[in-house]
Amino acid sequence: MKKATSIMAVLLLLSATVAFAGGQGGEVKGAEPTVLTVLYYIDATQAGYAEDQAIWEKFSAENPDIKIEKEELFDQAFHEKVAAYVAAGTLPDLMYTWPSGRSTALHEQRLLKDLTPLLGKEFLSNFVPAAIDPSNQKSGYLAELPQSVTYTTVMYTNTKLLKDNGLAEPQMYADMKAMVPKLKAKGAQTLLMANKDTWVMQSCLFSTVTGRMLGDAWIDSAKAGDVDFTDQGFVDTLGFVDTMYKDGVLSRDTIQIAYGEGPALFAEGKAAFLVDGDWRQGAFLTDSSTGVALIDPARQKSEFAFRNFPAIPGEKNAGQVSAIVGVGFSVSASVPAGSAKEEAAVRWMKYYYSPEVLKIKLETGAFIPSRKGITSDKIEPFTQMMPEYYASINKTCYVLDGVLDVDVYTPLNNGLQEMGLGTKNPTQVAAEVQDAMKAWQAKQ
Amino acid sequence: MNRRPWKVVEERRAYWSMISPAIILYIFVFAFPIIISIVISLSNYAGGKMFGGQSWRITGFQQYVKLAGDPYFWLAMKNNIYIVLISVFGQLPLGLIFAYLIYRRIVKFGEFWQGILYMPAIISVIVIGIMWNIIFSPYGLIADVVNKSYAAGFSRQVEQIFAEAGGFQITDQVVKQLIAVSDPSALEIFAEPIEELKALLLAYSPDQFAVVKQDLVNLLARKWSAAFLAKRDVAMLPILFVVLWMWTGMYLILFLANMQKIDTGIVEAARIDGASEGQIIWRIMLPMLSGVVVNAAILCIAGSLNSFDLVFAMTGGGPARVTQLLSIYMYDRAFMGAPDYPLANAIALAIVIFSLVLIMLTKIVERRYGGRE
Repeated sequence: MKKATSIMAVLLLLSATVAFAGGQGGEVKGAEPTVLTVLYYIDATQAGYAEDQAIWEKFSAENPDIKIEKEELFDQAFHEKVAAYVAAGTLPDLMYTWPSGRSTALHEQRLLKDLTPLLGKEFLSNFVPAAIDPSNQKSGYLAELPQSVTYTTVMYTNTKLLKDNGLAEPQMYADMKAMVPKLKAKGAQTLLMANKDTWVMQSCLFSTVTGRMLGDAWIDSAKAGDVDFTDQGFVDTLGFVDTMYKDGVLSRDTIQIAYGEGPALFAEGKAAFLVDGDWRQGAFLTDSSTGVALIDPARQKSEFAFRNFPAIPGEKNAGQVSAIVGVGFSVSASVPAGSAKEEAAVRWMKYYYSPEVLKIKLETGAFIPSRKGITSDKIEPFTQMMPEYYASINKTCYVLDGVLDVDVYTPLNNGLQEMGLGTKNPTQVAAEVQDAMKAWQAKQ
Repeated sequence: MNRRPWKVVEERRAYWSMISPAIILYIFVFAFPIIISIVISLSNYAGGKMFGGQSWRITGFQQYVKLAGDPYFWLAMKNNIYIVLISVFGQLPLGLIFAYLIYRRIVKFGEFWQGILYMPAIISVIVIGIMWNIIFSPYGLIADVVNKSYAAGFSRQVEQIFAEAGGFQITDQVVKQLIAVSDPSALEIFAEPIEELKALLLAYSPDQFAVVKQDLVNLLARKWSAAFLAKRDVAMLPILFVVLWMWTGMYLILFLANMQKIDTGIVEAARIDGASEGQIIWRIMLPMLSGVVVNAAILCIAGSLNSFDLVFAMTGGGPARVTQLLSIYMYDRAFMGAPDYPLANAIALAIVIFSLVLIMLTKIVERRYGGRE
């Protein structure tokens, strides 16, 4: 009996010790690190992975009160996991998102916080206007902070070719038209585009022309059925492209130039201007495997420039350039407002989007940051020049294939090519686009 | 004597254990994807919740009705037919003729010609596609050669005009003569050709005659344009040429190998009896190779309907879809922009049905006209 009592007493003592060993909830606030769950999009085999991991490790080292639980996935596996989290209602605290497209459900269901009040106007003023413009995101608010912005229209300018021929940089379309005979006499085209691929004209020039002549609101009205693509305004927009072919500013031969040929032809001085997206500057840089660049770094700044397309006759929105914001990080709407978790998420966002971290991203070639003033001596002049171009653009407009359904922009793409071939006119192309829009609206 | 029951069971077990792996592989790798493809083509599958959230259900033959009314589907079908025709009526006859010429030693260095003609078939299709794309480009080899010839002719005409004018004299007469020998399309950049061209030329000094000549060539000489290659039907010509060039060698090797199995005595006897080479091909070779020709035709048809890589590398199906094939159309609908999986699978099934029809036709032709090997 005595032995049994002793055993019982020992067991009771042990139980009490175990029960209190875990500590009391909320006994010491912040004693446990705040856990942030992250769903990150990255491929471990891609260049810059080691530098990227070092960024996360540095944050953890500098913020011991925050514990990052990161899940890394890529491509389809990433999107399927997001779908699973959405279905289960267990989105991670921080995640990589798109402004629309693959993340449309997250935006439409408002599963992400508005970053404007979270990060504050002062912090956000460090970014280019397009990056923090809520209208560039599907949700209509700043659901993700784009780490870069893709400007789909850049006029790569051969300033040396212009200077050698006594020509000034064009401010208006008429200036460009006047250059045609002089440049052609020297065996150069005025404007080069690699239009053999159907999407190039629409994405890289026509979207900007539409934005300047009609504006994004007009496109929204067309989608709503309030205006038609057969209206004179849109026909005139197509007419401008037709005019460029007729004036010889754009050669009809550009329809036969494959996308891969464009940079080499421009680098050889076959044209004074190349219109393409901002991503194309990468084609001119030094190839690390061969050490050869299409345009030698020594010549990049002195003989070339990145300019906005000149003023178009009849434009209403001067200087607009078509752009689409890139991917970035978001904070889940399920993170309680004012909580330690939300504060941790904000600290991480401000760290990731800081000049120091974004400079590393720029140097590893990950992207050209949307934050202003990020530059580095380790990158070639073209990559340094692009953020200056970004900063010069005050307002952006839609890239049409980002806002129109594929069944609507496909006849537009084909029609722009057919106009270049001379087999269709603007009125015919507008009619086909309108038919496609009506068919799409009927399906909604 | 009856076999013992356990032996029958044992035999059956052995039988099933040996063929089961093949059956399982066939079901999962061949049969299941085909069935799924057919089911998706009859449904509204759109990729799941992240792509619109529509629940999946069978919708019937909607996609097939859509295809029947789609002008781009029929354009792609027509382009595929062109490739089938050039393959069956181009590659096979040429391959047979080349094989015969080498077999009969009508041409010397037979092995050399075998190697040269077969070489395109072993080069990467993508490399060939890109190479020919560059050759046909406005800045490619053809343009370069043709434009040099145009430039030389125009340059001589410019020299003659200025020689008749007594040197570098810019007068209305000279300018009119220059315009008369110019390419009309080159003058479209001028609103007032005579005035503008004269103003342009007056900017040069007399000692710049060589520069003026070159500049006039650049400005006014005729230029080879690849624009005609962008017209429907005509746009397929370069592709058909490359298809012929690439694969004829493969059929040459196939026919040559089978010709070498034929008893040479038969051919020699025919020659002694006075048969011409054409009669030997038509009355001896073809009947004896009819089985091989049919099999080669089936390979041609399958390869033609499968073609994707060469045309994708050369033209991407463009410009404006004029060179689009069924396989490229299917790829566009499945993976470009918003995916339309039901339509893409319907196109895949259409390709299968079309190829079965062509193969049946081939078999009918063989039964009617084929000889005995």
